[in-house]
Amino acid sequence: MKRYRPLIDVSALPTFTFGRSAITWWGTLCYMVIEGMSLVVCLVTYLYLRKNVYHWPPPPTSLPGVLLPGIGAAFLASTNIANYWLHQVARRLDVQKTRIGFLIISVLGAAAIVFRVYDFRQLNTHWDSNAYSSAAWVTVGFHTALLVFEVVETWVFTALMWFGPVEGKHFSDADDNCLYWYFMSLVWLPVYFFIYWSPRLM
Amino acid sequence: MTGTPAVVADTIVLNDEDIRTAAELEKSWRNPPGLIGWLKSTSHTSLGKRYIVTTFVFFLLGGLEAGAMRLQLSRPENSWIGPDLYNQIFTMHGTTMMFLFAVPVMTAVGLYFVPLMVGTRNVSFPRLNQYGYYAYVVGGVFLYVAFILNTGPDAGWFSYVPLAGPQYSPGKRVDVWAQTVTFTEIAGLIAAVNIIVTAFKQRAPGMSLNRIPLFVWSMLVMSFMIIFAMPWVATASQMLAMDRLLDTHFFNQAEGGDPILWQHLFWFFAHPEVYIIFIPALGMVSAIVETFTRRPIFGYPVMVMSLITTGFMGFGLWVHHMFATPVPQLGQSFFTAASTIIAIPTGVQIFCWIATIWSGKPEYRTPFLFVLGFMFTFIIGGLTGVMVASVPFDLQAHDTYFVVAHLHYVLIGGGLFPLFGAFYYWFPKITGRMLSERLGKWNFWLFLTGVNVTFFPMHVLGLNGMTRRIYTYLPETGWGALNLVSSLGAVVIVTSVAIFIFNVFYSLKRGVVAGDNPWGAATLEWATQSPPPSYVFLHVPIVESEHPLWTDSPELPVVTGLRTDIRENLITTLMDAEPDHRQDSPEPTIWPFLAALATGVEFIVAIFTAWGIVIGSALVFPAFVLWAWPVKKEQQHRLAAEQDPLARAGQ
Repeated sequence: MKRYRPLIDVSALPTFTFGRSAITWWGTLCYMVIEGMSLVVCLVTYLYLRKNVYHWPPPPTSLPGVLLPGIGAAFLASTNIANYWLHQVARRLDVQKTRIGFLIISVLGAAAIVFRVYDFRQLNTHWDSNAYSSAAWVTVGFHTALLVFEVVETWVFTALMWFGPVEGKHFSDADDNCLYWYFMSLVWLPVYFFIYWSPRLM
Repeated sequence: MTGTPAVVADTIVLNDEDIRTAAELEKSWRNPPGLIGWLKSTSHTSLGKRYIVTTFVFFLLGGLEAGAMRLQLSRPENSWIGPDLYNQIFTMHGTTMMFLFAVPVMTAVGLYFVPLMVGTRNVSFPRLNQYGYYAYVVGGVFLYVAFILNTGPDAGWFSYVPLAGPQYSPGKRVDVWAQTVTFTEIAGLIAAVNIIVTAFKQRAPGMSLNRIPLFVWSMLVMSFMIIFAMPWVATASQMLAMDRLLDTHFFNQAEGGDPILWQHLFWFFAHPEVYIIFIPALGMVSAIVETFTRRPIFGYPVMVMSLITTGFMGFGLWVHHMFATPVPQLGQSFFTAASTIIAIPTGVQIFCWIATIWSGKPEYRTPFLFVLGFMFTFIIGGLTGVMVASVPFDLQAHDTYFVVAHLHYVLIGGGLFPLFGAFYYWFPKITGRMLSERLGKWNFWLFLTGVNVTFFPMHVLGLNGMTRRIYTYLPETGWGALNLVSSLGAVVIVTSVAIFIFNVFYSLKRGVVAGDNPWGAATLEWATQSPPPSYVFLHVPIVESEHPLWTDSPELPVVTGLRTDIRENLITTLMDAEPDHRQDSPEPTIWPFLAALATGVEFIVAIFTAWGIVIGSALVFPAFVLWAWPVKKEQQHRLAAEQDPLARAGQ
């Protein structure tokens, strides 16, 4: 016969936390790995198909534009200034500033989606033209899915912060949302380089 | 520690406070009543049980397909099954066994037992767990409905292009395959994330990294392999679907695409997949060997390092499936060497188990017999694996029954034997009753005999030139006798599995009542009732050694202070598992189930029109929002329990 021996009382521990302490931070990290790997698959495909043709893009396909997508990439990267600010105020549990930060990021995200329309147009090809076009379209398309998903999620968080009673764990969610936003926005830079610049260099 | 350890008593004496706590926890953690309540369940034990049973149903379906093939091949020029149906059947068999049984059953056992073995009350993301399970069910049902409607996939479980491309496979059969894969990958990825975070952050206080049970280590390695490997096939299968529906050209040689690219993308996932199946099985073997030899596993750190090494090396072998394609000679040499070297960490583990058995006091109960069967069968599969790792031999044996024999020895030996052992080992914990030992021994000996009689002759058939995926053969080939032997072996396997099923139903009613720890095992899943209550542990245990239940102490140290009026888990630090914070565990809800159905609509409509993605997203989006949106009453409970890490400001 055994009996329980209470040894540690955890009642005074906090009910939410930030960064590596939080399970949602680890969950977000895992999904960044999964989505990052999917992007890697797109880029591996792009590079693998490159070896099949002498010219890249294969004629008569035009080179993609670099200027407008470049502005879009710079814009998306610059959203991290607001994202960083949101990250800081959320960690300070500042309700009003977190609400404002979410609102700003929501608007910036919507603008980034509009920019993305031009990114597709500047590919200067259609997905069914040839294998190069398919690879370029799907890579940009996959990142667009990440962008749209993240922006919509941010809108939901914004609504939660503005319309619902604010729970402590919502700040922790904001923390994770910021982490994912860094990933989503910055991973676009190498993708932009591959899709819009590398055909000029290869 | 080499002697027989003291074993924790079955019964723990509860005081009045414990009984009151149990009643409060039951109220907070129990599943809602009724069918809707059943669908709402977020409990890892409820979902884990459903997951295991569902995978077993698919195992039986895959087995029936195998039986149909063996019947067809039992004599030359058999006309029972025509070539078109045969193509569907072998594709369904492979797809079912790999995507709907072997990987999901391993993640299912992990989702049930990892929280129990690390001493927590639920997985980190219970609603995701619920969503993943139902997405898997939708994918499996979809595949079989398509098969019944004569739209079963027929291009092999790997759907090689150009055969699987739009030109040579018109219709929707291959699309069904591609979308089934997507469903199962979603489920697998979700399970992996849940297992990683639960094992990292919800271990009982004191369970530092060097005290994690080997089964949990194996599930961790498997989960990391899943999150790095599965995105490859998930993305590639979408590319295949787009080639077929949207006229993209990834695999179309005429427009600059490349069929060999498909093989690279597929095998970069599918070779690690073999280890995704095999590594959890190694963890099961370690758990069983430790318990039935009554001593700690010999060489624990080496065992952990071997698991991790196998996990890494599993990613460096994929091209050995492609030796018959134009692989550069340097590449051939590299992948031959890598395929041979991976035998080393597995060999190390086998020697550690032998050392454990040698220096322990083995009890030859059914779970342990299956472990011995694993060693015998898997070693044969491993040896033929070293043979086909060699390019000259592989080119001779490629696409013959030798490879069929090899892969079944590896997967049945390395996956199914440990899994059957694990069923016998953990059945008492899941159901509260023991499986019959007598029936178990019949199950084991018939299975061992059946597997060897079925698959050993295939080595010879392959060396005699019998190629894979043929629906019949001529009498002049001389393959008839060995094929008949092989088919008779399949009858023995069917008998063995039938005995297992009978044993399960019989023991559920009449099995010996198990008690908390019927085997006298050392790990935490045995520190609670059998079956575990809704709250799993009355108190979160505290771990003071590598084998927390092999102790002479009359007391079990536990955690107090977690809320009992709401669902709450203890989150601990990554390395040393020190208490860090309390985290609410989500309440049951119907939305993940509905989100899975909506995902089903999205993927299935997308087979016919790309608008399926738009229509499906319109359904999936509200389901996800309502899943995440707080319910007022639950939120009030949480707010009352809230404790900030910082002083709250601005509100």
